[in-house]
Amino acid sequence: MLETGIRQFRMAMGMVWGRKLDTANLARLVEDALATLAEFGEPGSDVQAVLDGPLADPESRTEFANRSLRRTARRLQAQSSFYSRRFAAAGIAADKLDVEALRRIPVTVKRDLVERQAEFLCADSNRYLATRTTGTTGRPVEIWVSRYELELLAGLGALAGVLRDENRASDIVQVNVSSRATLSVHLNAAVCRLVGSGCRVLGIVPPDEALDSLTEGGVTLLATVPSYLAELVVAARRRGLGPADFRLRRIDGGGEVLSTSLAAAARETFGVSQVNDVFAMTEVMPVTGRNCGGGHLHHDINMGLVELLDLDTGEPAAPGALATVVITPYFPYRECMPVLRYDTRDVVRCLPDGPLDCEAAGIPATSPILGKADHILRVGPTQVVTPRDLVEAVEALPSQPWPARFHTRLADGRVRLSLPESAVDGLGEAGAREHFAMRGLDVDLNLVADADAASLRTLRSDLHETTFVAAPALIGE
Amino acid sequence: MTPFQLSLMEFSVAGTAAVLTSGTALFYLRRITLDRPAIGTFNGRDIRVLFVFIVFLPLLYALLPHWALTCFLSITFASALSIGLRPLLGPAALWLTVGTLIGASIWLSRTMLGTVWGWQLSWLEGDLLVTLAAVAIANLYVQGGMKLKHVSWFALTLGVYDVLFTTVLPVNSHLAEEFLGWPLDPSFGMRFGLYNATIGIGDLLVYALFLIAAFKAYGRLAGRVAMGLIVVFGVGAVAAAPLVLDNFITARTDVAIPAQTLFGPAAFVAYLWMRRRYGRERTMQEFLASADVVRPRQAAPAPAPVPALEPLPAPSPA
Repeated sequence: MLETGIRQFRMAMGMVWGRKLDTANLARLVEDALATLAEFGEPGSDVQAVLDGPLADPESRTEFANRSLRRTARRLQAQSSFYSRRFAAAGIAADKLDVEALRRIPVTVKRDLVERQAEFLCADSNRYLATRTTGTTGRPVEIWVSRYELELLAGLGALAGVLRDENRASDIVQVNVSSRATLSVHLNAAVCRLVGSGCRVLGIVPPDEALDSLTEGGVTLLATVPSYLAELVVAARRRGLGPADFRLRRIDGGGEVLSTSLAAAARETFGVSQVNDVFAMTEVMPVTGRNCGGGHLHHDINMGLVELLDLDTGEPAAPGALATVVITPYFPYRECMPVLRYDTRDVVRCLPDGPLDCEAAGIPATSPILGKADHILRVGPTQVVTPRDLVEAVEALPSQPWPARFHTRLADGRVRLSLPESAVDGLGEAGAREHFAMRGLDVDLNLVADADAASLRTLRSDLHETTFVAAPALIGE
Repeated sequence: MTPFQLSLMEFSVAGTAAVLTSGTALFYLRRITLDRPAIGTFNGRDIRVLFVFIVFLPLLYALLPHWALTCFLSITFASALSIGLRPLLGPAALWLTVGTLIGASIWLSRTMLGTVWGWQLSWLEGDLLVTLAAVAIANLYVQGGMKLKHVSWFALTLGVYDVLFTTVLPVNSHLAEEFLGWPLDPSFGMRFGLYNATIGIGDLLVYALFLIAAFKAYGRLAGRVAMGLIVVFGVGAVAAAPLVLDNFITARTDVAIPAQTLFGPAAFVAYLWMRRRYGRERTMQEFLASADVVRPRQAAPAPAPVPALEPLPAPSPA
C-alpha cells in the first residue's frame, strides 16, 4: 500500500510536470491493481477519479487542456519539423498556446501524414514499430511508435482494463483483427501480458476457424471489427451454435460502424451482455471514446484534446450539429510521430446543451460515430444521410444481410442505394423501400447480383487471411 | 514497592492497555469499514518500509528538541485520529474532537503534574489518545490488506530490534524516560504513588494488529488464540520478566522490558500453527462477506404492495 502510494505519486508527478512516464512503474501499478482486486474484490472508492480524471468541472478542464497543450506544443515545435513550420506560419509561440489560439493552426489531415510522413517523426525519439492503417478508407497511413509509447499504451490500457474489471487474469482474449494491424495486435498481447491473461491472436481467418477457437478454447473476451463480428454471427447461426457453446463475457468492436441489430444478434448468439463499440484510431492513440448505457460516445479528455468542428465552417460545432472529431494527443502520451489537431473525419452529432444522465455524465459526450465525413450524403439543405443511418437500416432488414454490403450515390437529390438481391429476401423491392422509408430514408433501390456484393462496399473483414486448416488433404499424404 | 508488586502493577496497566486496545480494534474492524485508495494493498515490501521507519523514528525522537517533537507528535496523532474517526463523525465534530484530545494532552502535561492525581488524570487522557490512535492505525493496515503473515513477521523482526535497542543501544528505555511528563507521550500508562507503569504505543499496535489480522484471516477461534497469546506473552511474560531477570534495569533503576522479544516469537509460531491448521488466510473480500462482520441492522421491510385486483393489460406486441 505504501509502495503503491509512492508509485501513484510518481506517475501523478510525471503527468503534472509533463515528463515521460516510467513505464516500469506503470507495469508495477498494474500488478498492484491486480493484487488489490485479489484482496478486496474491487478497487477503492475513488477509482472513478483515477480512471476518468478529476475533470468534471469545465473550468478545470480548460485549465488542464491549456497546460497540456502548451507542453505538447513546446515539444512539437522543437522536435517535429512539420509542426515547427505550422507554428511559425501561424505566428504562435508554443508557450502562449491555449485552446482558443490553437484554432489558428490548421487541422492536420490524413494526406499530410501520407505525403510528408518523415516530417512528423520527432527528432528525439527512436522508431520501434510501424503500423499501417488497413486502407479501407483510402491510401494507408503508416504510423511509427517508439518502444516507450508501446509500453506506455499497454500499461495505461491494462491499468484501466483491470480497474474497470474489463480485463481479468483468468481471461483468454481472442483477437480477430487483421494481423497487419501490428499496433493493435501488439497492444492486445502486451495488455494480456501485464494483466496475466491469455492472448490468442488469430487474425481475419475463415469464420469457422475463429468459432472453433471460441467454442473450444475457453475464450472469454473477443476483440474484433464489426464486419468480422457479423461474419461470426452468421457462421455461428448457420452451425446452430448458441450461448451455451461459448464462454464469452464481452465483445469489443471498433473501426467500423456497429449497428444495433448486429450488436443485439451478437449478444443473443454468443450470450454476452456487452458488445462495446469502441472509438480508437491509430493516428491519435491513446485518445479513445467509450460508449455508455445512454448511447453516448464519451471522449477521453485526460490524454488529449477533443475538438468538435462544424463540417461546413470548421468552427466549433453548435449543439445538435454534425461535427468532425479533431484530436490532439498530449505529450507524454505520444512520442515518436505525434499529431496536433488531427482531423479524423469521423462524424458525430453534438448533443444538446444540458447535463447528461448517464453513468459517465462528468465526461463530455457526443452521439456515436456516424461514419466518415466524406461518405455523408446531403439530400437537402439541412438533411443528410450518414453511413450509420444506412448500416443501421440495411442490417435491420429481415434477411439479416450481415455485414451490410451496399453502395450509395446521389441521383437527382435522392439516394440511390445498391443492395445485393438477397438482402431484400422476404420483403421484395417495394417492401424494402417501405422498410427504409420507415427509418427516414427515401431511397431508390438498385438490386445487384449477390456475386457482386463484395464490390459494393469494402470492409475490414475482406482482409481475409488464409490458413491450411480448411484446405483438403493432399493425395499421398 | 516489592518487585512482585511492581510486576503486578505493570501487569494491570499493560494488561488493561493490551486488552482494551486490541478489543477496541476488533470491535472497530467488525463494524466499521475504512475508506481505502483506489489501488493498493499491504505487501511484504510495505512491512520492510514500516520497519525501517520504526528503526529510525526513535532516533528522530531522540534528536529533536521537545517543541519540535511535540509538533511532530501532534501531526502524527491528528492524522491517526482523523483516519479512525472519519467514518464516525462529521468534519466539524471530528476536528473538534482531535483538537480537544491533543490540546488537552498538552495542557494537562504542562499544568497538572504537580500531584499524583494530576499525573493520573494526564495519563488517563493520554491513554485515550494512544488507544484511539493504535486502533485506527491497526485497522488502517489490516483493512488495507495487511495479512497475519505480515504481522507475525513484523512482530518477530521487532523482537530482535527490541532486545537490541533496549540492551545494546538503550534508545527505547532512554526515550521512555525522556517522554515521561511531556505532552503526547506515545505510551499507555498510569501512576501509582511514586511509580509509573507504561507500555509503548508500538507494542499496543502490534498486539492490536495481531489480534485483528488473526480474526480476519481465520475467524473467531484464531482471534481467541491471538488474544490469549497477547495476555500471556505480551503482558504476563513481560510483567513477570523482572522477577527472574535483572538485565533490564536501567541506570535510573527503571525497568525496561523489550516486550516484542517475548511476544514476537510466540506470535510467529502461532501464525505457523494457524496456517498449518486453517490453510490460506481469508482475503478482506472474504472477511467482509463472512458472518464475522457485524452489519448494521436493516430497517423493517416496507409492507408488500396490495396486489392489483384488475388484471394488468398485456404488453402490446413489438
